[in-house]
Amino acid sequence: MKKRTQQKTWQTPGWRLYAVSGLILCVFAALLVRTAYIQVVSPDMLREQGDLRVKRTLSNSVLRGMIKDRNGLEVAISVPVNTVWADPKIVQQTNSFSYTREWRALAEILSLDLAQVKEKLSNPKVRFEYLARQVSPAMAEYVRHLKLPGVKLRPESKRYYPAAEVDAHIVGITNIDDQGIDGIEKLYNQELSGTEGKKRILKDANNRVIDVLDEEAPKLAQDIYLSIDQRIQTLAYQELKKAVQYYQADSGSLVAVDVKTGELLALVNNPSYNPNNRKTLTRSAMRNRAITDTFEPGSTVKPLAVLAALEFGAVDEETVINTSPGYMQIGGRRVRDGLNRGKLTIEGILQKSSNVGTTKLALSIPTEHFLGAFYNAGFGIDTGTGLLGESAGVFYDRRRWSDFELATLSYGYGLSVTPLQLARMYATIANGGVRRPLSILRIDNPLPGERVFSEKNANLVLNMLESVVKKGGTGPKAAVEGYRVGGKTGTSRKAIAGGYGSDYVAMFAGVAPISDPRLAIVVVVNNPKGDKYYGGDVAAPVFSSVMGGSLQLLNVPTDKGEAEPDPLQLANIKREQPDA
Amino acid sequence: MSAMNDEKSLLRKIHIDAQLLLALVSLMVVGLFIIYSASGQNMDLIVRQAIRLGLAIFVMMAVAQIPPSFLAHRAAVFFTLACLLLVAVLLFGAVGKGAQRWLDIGFMRIQPSELMKLALPIMLAAYISKRPLPPSIKHTGIALFLVVMPTLLIAKQPDLGTSLLIAMSGIFVLFLAGLSWRLIAGFVLLVSALAPLVWYFYMHDYQKRRVLTFLNPESDPLGSGYHIIQSKIAIGSGGFWGKGWLAGTQSQLEFLPERHTDFIFAVFAEEFGWAGVIVLLALYLWVIARGMVIAAQAPDMFTKLLAGSITLTFFVYVFVNMGMVSGILPVVGVPLPLVSYGGTSMVTLLAGFGILMAISTHKRFLRDA
Repeated sequence: MKKRTQQKTWQTPGWRLYAVSGLILCVFAALLVRTAYIQVVSPDMLREQGDLRVKRTLSNSVLRGMIKDRNGLEVAISVPVNTVWADPKIVQQTNSFSYTREWRALAEILSLDLAQVKEKLSNPKVRFEYLARQVSPAMAEYVRHLKLPGVKLRPESKRYYPAAEVDAHIVGITNIDDQGIDGIEKLYNQELSGTEGKKRILKDANNRVIDVLDEEAPKLAQDIYLSIDQRIQTLAYQELKKAVQYYQADSGSLVAVDVKTGELLALVNNPSYNPNNRKTLTRSAMRNRAITDTFEPGSTVKPLAVLAALEFGAVDEETVINTSPGYMQIGGRRVRDGLNRGKLTIEGILQKSSNVGTTKLALSIPTEHFLGAFYNAGFGIDTGTGLLGESAGVFYDRRRWSDFELATLSYGYGLSVTPLQLARMYATIANGGVRRPLSILRIDNPLPGERVFSEKNANLVLNMLESVVKKGGTGPKAAVEGYRVGGKTGTSRKAIAGGYGSDYVAMFAGVAPISDPRLAIVVVVNNPKGDKYYGGDVAAPVFSSVMGGSLQLLNVPTDKGEAEPDPLQLANIKREQPDA
Repeated sequence: MSAMNDEKSLLRKIHIDAQLLLALVSLMVVGLFIIYSASGQNMDLIVRQAIRLGLAIFVMMAVAQIPPSFLAHRAAVFFTLACLLLVAVLLFGAVGKGAQRWLDIGFMRIQPSELMKLALPIMLAAYISKRPLPPSIKHTGIALFLVVMPTLLIAKQPDLGTSLLIAMSGIFVLFLAGLSWRLIAGFVLLVSALAPLVWYFYMHDYQKRRVLTFLNPESDPLGSGYHIIQSKIAIGSGGFWGKGWLAGTQSQLEFLPERHTDFIFAVFAEEFGWAGVIVLLALYLWVIARGMVIAAQAPDMFTKLLAGSITLTFFVYVFVNMGMVSGILPVVGVPLPLVSYGGTSMVTLLAGFGILMAISTHKRFLRDA
C-alpha cells in the first residue's frame, strides 16, 4: 500500500527534479552572463577604477623660469609665496575652532571674515579649502607659528614684472595658477613652467608604495631671453607715451628691428597696462597693437614703387618724371599731389612724396612685377615672431587690378599692414634686399634670409630715403645728429564704413645709419588730435629721439662727416610745403 | 576495463562516489591555490586549510558508511538534539563578532546551527516520506513548523544568512515532496506581505544597510558599498584571461575585504579571468549535477528528498556567494563552499556529501538484498 502510494507520487518529485535542474542551469547561465558582463563587456571602467586605486602619479613642482631681455635683465620673475589652506575634516576632528584667539589672529592677518571661514570649513567631507592665496613669506611664517590644526601652507610662486607696463605687451601675464595666459608667458609656457617630475607608483590599500612603475625626471624650467634691449625698450616707451599724450592720440606703437639679424629690439604700445596690478586690466590696454592692429601704410610704402621700377629697369636713378600738373586722371578718378611739383627725379618723388610720381612709376611696369615688390616686402604674410595674435595684414591676392587700384597701392592705400610688417619692409631694404624673419627671442645666429631685391637697387633706394629727412624733404624732424638717417613719412586717412573719415594715422618709418644700417624703426601714432597730424610732425620726432638714443646705447659709430650732397637733390631744391 | 570496474566496485564497497569525490577534490585544490594567493602567500593558512579539508573528507567518508535507513530512523533524535543545542547557544553561547553562535563545551567550540543544516532536511525528509504524498495540508503545516522553529532560533543569534539557508533546505524537501502549487503561491504571497514587517521590526540596521547598499552600492562607496564595489572592480579588472595567479592587484594589495573567505571568488575572477570563471562554474555544475542524478536514482522517497535537498542547498550556497560577489545579490556572509577558507561549515558541507555518497552507494545493497 505504502509502496503503491510512493509509486503513484514518483511522477511529481521526478518532474520537479527536472524543473529544478533547469532552474539551476538558468542560474549558472545568469552567473556566467553576469561575470562576462563585468569582465568582458564593460571591464574598461572597472579596470580604470582598479588602476585609480593602485596607481598614483607623484609630481614635484619646479619654479617658473624667468624672462630676461637680451642682456640678461629680468623682466618677469617668480617670487616664492604661500597658499594658506585648510582641511575641513581635520579642522572638525581636532575641534580646531576651540583655539579662538589663534583663529581670530589668522582671520585678521589674512583679512578674512571668521564667521564665513567657519561656514566654509563646516563640511568635513571636503578635504581642501583655500583660505588665502599668494601670501607673502612673512605672513606665511606668522600663520605657521599659530600652529592651528588643519590649517596648512603650500609653497607657490607669484609672478612679478619689474618692467611693468613697458614690456607688458610682449611679456604678457600668468594666471593665479602660474600658467601663462598672454604674450611670451603663454607662447613659451611649456619652456617656462618646465615639466614636473612624475612617478607612477602602485599603492596598496594601506598607502604603502608597492612598486614604481615608471619615473620621469623633471624638466627644469628654462629662462627665456627676449631679443628686446630693455634700455631701448624703455626709451621707446617713454618717447612714444609722450607723443601719444601730447597729441592726444588714441594709441601709438613703435617697433625697432635690428637690421642685421631681424631681432626686435623694442616693441612698445601706448596705452599699456601694469601686469603687477591686475585690477586695472582692460581688454583695450592689453592689446599688443604693434602686431594686432593694421592700418593702411600710406606714403611709407612709396619706396616699394620706386624699387619695383628700378628692379624692372623701367627707370634708373637719373630718370626724371614729370608730375605736372600735380594731378592725374585715371579711369574717371583723380590721383593728386598737394602741389604741382613739376619734374622730379625718382629720389625727388620720395623726398616730396609725390602720389602722381609713384603712380607713373607703378603704371610703367607690368602689374605682376609691381605687385611682386609688395609680396617681396612681406605684406600679407606674418613676420615669423610667432607672437600670439599677430595679424598678417590684408593684401588682396586678386587677378584683376584696375589702373586706379594700382595707383592707390603705390602710395599705400588698398592694403593694410601691421607696424611690425612695415618695420620688416624697411629692414629688408636696409639689409641690401635680404628679407629675414623677425624674432622676439634673442638669436645668436641670424636666421637665413631670402634675397628679394637686388643689393644695388636696395642700396639706391636706401640712399634716396636720406633725402626725406633733409631740408626739402617731408621728414626733417626725423634727423639724428651725427648719423645719416633715411626714412619716409606717412599720413594715411583712416578707412571708416563707406569711405575715408577725417581721422589720420601718422607714421614714420626709417633706418640708420645709412652708411651701414643697424636699426629700422617704425613709429605709428593713431588719430592724433589738433592741428598737426602729419607723420613728419607727429611721428618723426619720436623716431629721431628713439633712433638717436638707441644708436648711442648700441655704441654705433657716427657717420664720418655729413653725407655727400647729391647733385640731383641740389637740382630740386625748392621751398615747398611737403604734402605728406 | 575490468580493472576499472573492479576499482569502481572497490570504491563502492567503501561507499565512495568516485565522480562526486573527484569534483569535490578539484574544487578544494582550486580553493587552496586561491587562498594561497589571496592571503599574501601565507603557507600557514594553507596547511591549516589542508588539515581541515582532510578532516572534512574523513568525516564525509565516515558519514558515507552510515546506511540512509539509519538516518531515517534516528531523524527525530538528531533534530531534537540540534534544537536543544540551539536553545543552549542562546542561553550560554559565546559571543563573537556581535552574534552568539558558538557553544563552548570545554575541549572544543561547536556551532549548533551547522548541525541543524543536516538535521533539518533529514528530519523533514523522514517525516514527509512516511506520510502519503503529496503531503496534506496538515502534514505540510507540521513540516512548516519544523522548519520555522530552528530558523527563528538561528535568526535570533543573530545569523540571518544561515537561518535563511536552513529554512531553504526545509522548503526544498517540501517542494520535492510535491508541495502543492497553491501553497507555494500562498507562501510567496505571505513572504512578500511579511517582508516590510520584517524590514521594520525585525532586521538589524546592518542588515538593512546591506540590502540598501545592494540596491545602489555607489551610494556609499566608502561604507557599506565598499565590499561590492571593490569586488566588482577586482572581477572586472581580470578581463577575459585574468591577470595570472598571484598577480591580481586588487586582491593582492588588500583593497578587497574578506578576500580569502567570503570574497574569494573575486580574487579568483581577477587572477583567472572569465575563462577561469567558466571552469569554476563547470566544476560546481558537475557536483550539483551528480547530486541531482543521485537524487533521481535514489531508491526511496526519503533518500530522494534528502539528496535533493542537500544538493539544492549546496547550489544555493554557490549561487548566493557568487551572486553577492558579482553584485546581483545583497551582501550576506556566505562563504563560497569548498573554496573559501573556513572550518565548521566545510565539515558540515562534506558530511552532507557523505550522506549523498551513502545514498548513491547503499542502494545497490538494498536492491541486492
